[in-house]
Amino acid sequence: MKSETQPATPLDAIDRILASDDPLVPSSGFAAGVMERVRDEATAPPPIPFPWMRALPGIVLVAGTIGWLIYEFIRTALAGALSGALSGTLTSPIAMPHISTAAQQTLVPAFWTAFALVLSLASWAFSRRLMRRSSLL
Amino acid sequence: MIETPTAARNDTADLDSADVARVLAGDVGAFEGIVRRWQGPLVNMAWRYCRDRGRAEEMAQEAFLRAWRGLASWRSESSFSTWLFSIAANVYRSELKRFPAALPLDEAAEPSAAAVQFSEFEQRGQNEALRRAVLALPVRYREPVILYYFHQMDMARAAQTMGLPEGTVKARLARARDLLRKRFPHLNPQAAAGPILSTGKDLSR
Repeated sequence: MKSETQPATPLDAIDRILASDDPLVPSSGFAAGVMERVRDEATAPPPIPFPWMRALPGIVLVAGTIGWLIYEFIRTALAGALSGALSGTLTSPIAMPHISTAAQQTLVPAFWTAFALVLSLASWAFSRRLMRRSSLL
Repeated sequence: MIETPTAARNDTADLDSADVARVLAGDVGAFEGIVRRWQGPLVNMAWRYCRDRGRAEEMAQEAFLRAWRGLASWRSESSFSTWLFSIAANVYRSELKRFPAALPLDEAAEPSAAAVQFSEFEQRGQNEALRRAVLALPVRYREPVILYYFHQMDMARAAQTMGLPEGTVKARLARARDLLRKRFPHLNPQAAAGPILSTGKDLSR
């Protein structure tokens, strides 16, 4: 049955062929198969929610550590840049003149650890987003 | 097929509404009525997307499951069939994006001049070649062709299923038909007098 929005030209061979596609009869077990999957889903227990409450202290700890490390990095980088500018020499942004050498030796690996953590977090968030977009999650 | 007389369509709509209400009230078995009523159209629609029977049934099954999960989101002011076909079209589109229908281009090529004779067998082969050529169209042109002919040339329903304005679907359909005519010049009335050549060109170009 044609509607009022048929093509401008009369039916041509392409229309006739494409409109006359033989119907496919679903296999006899198709409806039963669908219902089996529907019933499986209906009886399946709901997915276990992520234990946010249990994970909260860890999340807070990690976030606090990362925040503190970022703060320390920015503070020391700014201080280093400022003192370098005042003395007329350019120093590395990781140079920390007001902190003892021993403390610096601890902070620099800590910075890289924090950086790696942030990078991992970003990579995890990105992959999760990609999976959600491809409807795998 | 899908296009039924108005009274029958109203009956189907009533049955769908009643089954949906029962499913939402907790009667999972009521979904079977919906599956039995719409299995033919959904499998046929999937078949037009991939022309592979096994895969068509898998995709239709996934579409039914998606519909079941989202049944509560159906608003009864819109037609259940349009809602169901939209879900199915989305499922089929994303399935074929992930695993495209394996269609060697030579299968999409038209028969040679000698084959376009008038034996029924060859005619059927030519028709099938045209239908398979639709799968070689770029997806933006392919889908309007599939849905327009699936909905028995109802542009409005095809546009609703795709969630696009009717004008856009009409333009894409016209472009798709041009591509098919170039591919199958002997089916083009204006070129009917000319020689039939096998171009072997990729329709997606």
